[in-house]
Amino acid sequence: MDEPTSHFPSDRIKLNVGGKLFETTISTLRSGGPDSLLFALSNRPNPDPNPVFIDRDPEIFSVLLSLLRSNRLPSTARRFSNHELADEALYYGVESDLKSAMSPPPLSGIDASHISTIRPASEGFASAFTAGANDGSVWIAHGGQISSYDWNLIHAGTIRTHFEDVTSICQVYSEVAALGSDSEAGLHFYDFSGGRNVGSVHWRDPSDPRIFKARVSAIADSPSSVFASFYCPHKENSVLVIDKSTLQLQSEFGRQNGSSAKNLVPDKLTWLPERGVVVGSSVTCGAFGFSGYIRLWDPRSGGVVWETNEPGSGRSVRFGDPFADVGVDVEESMLFKVCSKSGDLAMADLRSLKEDPWIYLQDNNPSLKTTKGGNNTVVHCYKKQVFVGRGGGLEVWSRVANSRTVVEKENGVCEGLYRRNFVDKVEDSERGVIVKIEGGGERLFVCRENAEGIEVWESSNSSTVVSLL
Amino acid sequence: MPPFEGSAPPTYNSESNIVTIDVGGQLFQTTKQTLTLAGPNSLFARISDSVAQTSVPFVDRDPDLFSVLLSLLRTGNLPSKARAFDVQDLIFESQFYGVEPILVNSVSNPSQFEAFNLEKSTLLPLNGRDSPSVIASTPFGSVHVAHGSKITSFDWSLRKKSTILTQFTAVDSMLAISPSVAAAGATDFSGLQIIDLENGFVKQSLNWENVTKSSSTVQAIGASPECLFVSFESGRRNSNSIMVYDLQSLSPVTEISHCEIYGAELNSAIPSTKLSWVHGRSLLMASGSHSGPSGVSGTIKFWDIRSGNVVWELKEKVDCFSDVTVSDNLSVMFKVGVNSGEVYLSDLRTLGDENPWICLGDKRKGINGKKEGVGCKIESHGNQVFCSKGGDIQLWSEVAMSSRKSSEDGLEDRVFRKNLMGKVKDMGGSKITNLAFGGNKMFVARKDQQSVEVWQSSVRGF
Repeated sequence: MDEPTSHFPSDRIKLNVGGKLFETTISTLRSGGPDSLLFALSNRPNPDPNPVFIDRDPEIFSVLLSLLRSNRLPSTARRFSNHELADEALYYGVESDLKSAMSPPPLSGIDASHISTIRPASEGFASAFTAGANDGSVWIAHGGQISSYDWNLIHAGTIRTHFEDVTSICQVYSEVAALGSDSEAGLHFYDFSGGRNVGSVHWRDPSDPRIFKARVSAIADSPSSVFASFYCPHKENSVLVIDKSTLQLQSEFGRQNGSSAKNLVPDKLTWLPERGVVVGSSVTCGAFGFSGYIRLWDPRSGGVVWETNEPGSGRSVRFGDPFADVGVDVEESMLFKVCSKSGDLAMADLRSLKEDPWIYLQDNNPSLKTTKGGNNTVVHCYKKQVFVGRGGGLEVWSRVANSRTVVEKENGVCEGLYRRNFVDKVEDSERGVIVKIEGGGERLFVCRENAEGIEVWESSNSSTVVSLL
Repeated sequence: MPPFEGSAPPTYNSESNIVTIDVGGQLFQTTKQTLTLAGPNSLFARISDSVAQTSVPFVDRDPDLFSVLLSLLRTGNLPSKARAFDVQDLIFESQFYGVEPILVNSVSNPSQFEAFNLEKSTLLPLNGRDSPSVIASTPFGSVHVAHGSKITSFDWSLRKKSTILTQFTAVDSMLAISPSVAAAGATDFSGLQIIDLENGFVKQSLNWENVTKSSSTVQAIGASPECLFVSFESGRRNSNSIMVYDLQSLSPVTEISHCEIYGAELNSAIPSTKLSWVHGRSLLMASGSHSGPSGVSGTIKFWDIRSGNVVWELKEKVDCFSDVTVSDNLSVMFKVGVNSGEVYLSDLRTLGDENPWICLGDKRKGINGKKEGVGCKIESHGNQVFCSKGGDIQLWSEVAMSSRKSSEDGLEDRVFRKNLMGKVKDMGGSKITNLAFGGNKMFVARKDQQSVEVWQSSVRGF
């Protein structure tokens, strides 16, 4: 039994917010973390029956108090804009609680829907974007400008770069982006907080006159370095390693002369932390179909660890069916490709690469029988799922949990390992051909050809009930 | 205005029945009896136990939501001021206080089902491009929808959903064992899976093997309060059986209706595609039909589970059923004829007759060659029978007549009448593929629609 309390118990606190009285416990107030204003209020020396006065709006405070009490936003929060809530949470110092309550649930491709489209105010056709911060925020390059949208998809700011058109963007630090363009030479670093250029790297070689005006095709980020693939007007190309701390050129690997499809500039670069290698791929579509390569480099030695070319030497079981796009699943160390003719998806384990490592995935979903070839195909691996854009349609391949019924057929075809489903509806696919898919936080961002802005796809735990009355 | 705000709480002694609670700075008074209504595991009960203390118990929650839940506790109904809140807020708060069952009872109770008052009220959209193949509902109105290889579950308020991926290409039969567990099977997949829908894993897989030990597919699932019935067909389609499992332990109890097909015995080759438990008579109805060159033929069998015997068997040759259902409350079996598309009834008390069916429409349509009844669904719920025809739903109900003429066989003629459901704007539409009932709602799935329609009567509170 408790000691008989004095006329006001010490574990409780009264607040007067804008004239409205609230009573809560110290522990509730402290759940916002030690740096918050509310924590500071709870530290008052001796229990005081007089309420603490805070000159803020009581309605929003009651929403935030509910959030602290129950870790979820009450429906009354809908009366306020996300902006208001975020501002007020920042004032009280509880933005981390708000962030966790407002973030969408884990992204599940089998149950995701298009929730909004981010449209920059001017020149809204996105030339590149990145969701590299991995908290659901996104940076969009459009018409030489970079717009940043925070975790709540609120416009955080726009800077103008010297580029006419930014075609590759990569987040290097939380406020620094590495930018490249196929119309202007060099890799350039821009700082968002200052809105200015903080460094540039160019590929130059005094001993080789063919190397001039080198432009950037792809950028990848690792904890200590930035990798960028450069190419010159006469197709000589190379991957440059840039030291992240100094933003200076460190080394170079994989220089090739670009005379054939097998040594063109990599148009995708991915850093694989588990093995410390860079995965680069290049795909070109010519009169005789698709051709390209996937190559793994060790950036320290500059040597090629593994490579495959398609159309290859004929050892592949899928001769004449070269890949149209390649995706790397960094978490699972898997490589995925879409075949250009059959449209099949194949995977390869990056831990055990061999001459023909591909396993072709098959799914008998009758609603997906009409697979077209691999034209306009985009692959992106995110959260252990493989998202594939085929023309305007968006589909997802999800791994079946401890599936016992994997049927391995001849020629490396495997059934039952992954299930294929459409993420979108037919109406969604009519908005245009998907050119880029990228995941960030619990969101999937989709960019379409000739469509303004970037689509945002999320999963939701609440059903969107449509009233018919 | 909260009671006693600004003034000192009134003095009371611990012997008194009156309990004072401080919720988020507001004082509430109620009686111990009201608090004990919430059940022994709820926070209310703990508050009422701690009343012996001298101080007023403090609960650090929203006072407005508490006042709604206190009203619910006092009257069993939600007050109209509950409309100011989202049902999600109330559910979450009721879970905190441990009174969610009372909230469910007041908002989604099967006794509130009013067949004549149902209207198409909401649409539950499904993500992706697959349309629902099966709907399984629970008594209090949560519903599981299988679409493609996925199962989406909606909670009883239909506001929360979750989707899981199954091993099936498409689910063909599904039964809700509890709000979070379902039994699912497919006609192209071996074995019945008991799936935990919250966490998306297969809890158990039930298999049946015939003498050749080949795989077996699931044709139908049914359940009684104690047992789970599964109709299996072997992969080579040369044998079929109905397995009876214990619903709790899922261990096999018995096997009935095991048929091995030799030669051209067509009738025994038909596996049961619908299993329904007739509670009033403790019989299992199993029906299956087959479309052959001479038209559709089928059988309806009533099984006694304990003895494993067929109590009554009906072979259908003329105007065979396209779907059949038994209404326990009415003691009547209904079917839709596949040729005529008309509804027939058969009083369960006259079982054993040569032709027990009474046609409730144009009898002559039964012998024409058209197939108007293909794909029609018929389901009974409560005292009514719901029959889908194309995009429309017919509601059949019995009219209680004061003067009953006795017919020759001693049984009175019963009068059944039909109505078309819904307002004019709700009629028609794509062909209905599924009908399910739960809580005070009816769920309807249509061909090529990536959504589930919810038909319900207006509810108190929301």
